[in-house]
Amino acid sequence: MKIALASDKGGFDLKEYIKSYLKGKDYDVIDLTEEPAADFVDSSVAVSRAVLDGKADRGIMFDEFGAGSAMASNKIHGMVTANVAEENTSHMTTQHNGAKAIAIGAGIVGPKKAESLVDEYLGVNYAGGRHQIRLDMLEKLS
Amino acid sequence: MIIALGNDHIVTGTKIQISDFIKSLGHEVIDVGTYDNTRTHYPIYGLKVADLVRDGKADLGVVLCGTGVGISTAADKNTGIRAALVNDVTTAKYAKEELNANVIGFGGAVVGEHLAEEIVNTFLKTEYKETPENKKLIEKIDNLEKDNPAQHDNPHFYDDEMKLWNEGYYHD
Repeated sequence: MKIALASDKGGFDLKEYIKSYLKGKDYDVIDLTEEPAADFVDSSVAVSRAVLDGKADRGIMFDEFGAGSAMASNKIHGMVTANVAEENTSHMTTQHNGAKAIAIGAGIVGPKKAESLVDEYLGVNYAGGRHQIRLDMLEKLS
Repeated sequence: MIIALGNDHIVTGTKIQISDFIKSLGHEVIDVGTYDNTRTHYPIYGLKVADLVRDGKADLGVVLCGTGVGISTAADKNTGIRAALVNDVTTAKYAKEELNANVIGFGGAVVGEHLAEEIVNTFLKTEYKETPENKKLIEKIDNLEKDNPAQHDNPHFYDDEMKLWNEGYYHD
């Protein structure tokens, strides 16, 4: 699975940490910000483009709180990003929302929890079925 | 203030508790539904809350579904709306103070009742503190989205999807 990562300054250290963690688990990691992006809008847009263009299967965005990256990327048509800070949402959002990316706030989530969040997010698949009507409804929105 | 409140069928009980809480703070609530536990679809209610806030009929919006992801994403996909999904008070405060968020979302099945109330209370009482930096960032967020006039104040926007749903097209 190809995973796109990007971060602004506030999430950069955690991005580096998770990058090593995912490489250790044999994921194909695409780091879109070898240097910190100017702000979380730039980093979250970079991840969104990568998954929407099919260059990556899923994305992980880092900033200080996570909320900004999710807010910005969800403005992009077709994008569904979940700001996650606990494990339940991290796997549920793949299963029910087919989330194309998650956002993690490095000021809110520590490294060990971040490992668990990405494991939960990447470890399951979208369930489809009744959930698809909601994704079709989201797709119709700007 | 007037607060628009929306939810899906998973968290209607929590929505009622939050509605009572917001009223106890002295605010008016416009509850857009859903009103029971019959299966429905979170984008419908995220869109309704977004319409009210966007049209100035409500000052702020509060949205919840199981995890909060779906309904907050739906609300966010509207020009003029900045929806923040949060799991804690710190992020709720940041979203209002720095990003001037006008809709807050949380997981009604994830966050417990006391924390949910504290998140909502913090969101409502925190004021946006404008700086040249955060103003620029907010403009940049807003500019990512192209408006889709068809989705605003349109009760028939999801008629096609609901027809397919009622015909059994979407099934597990």
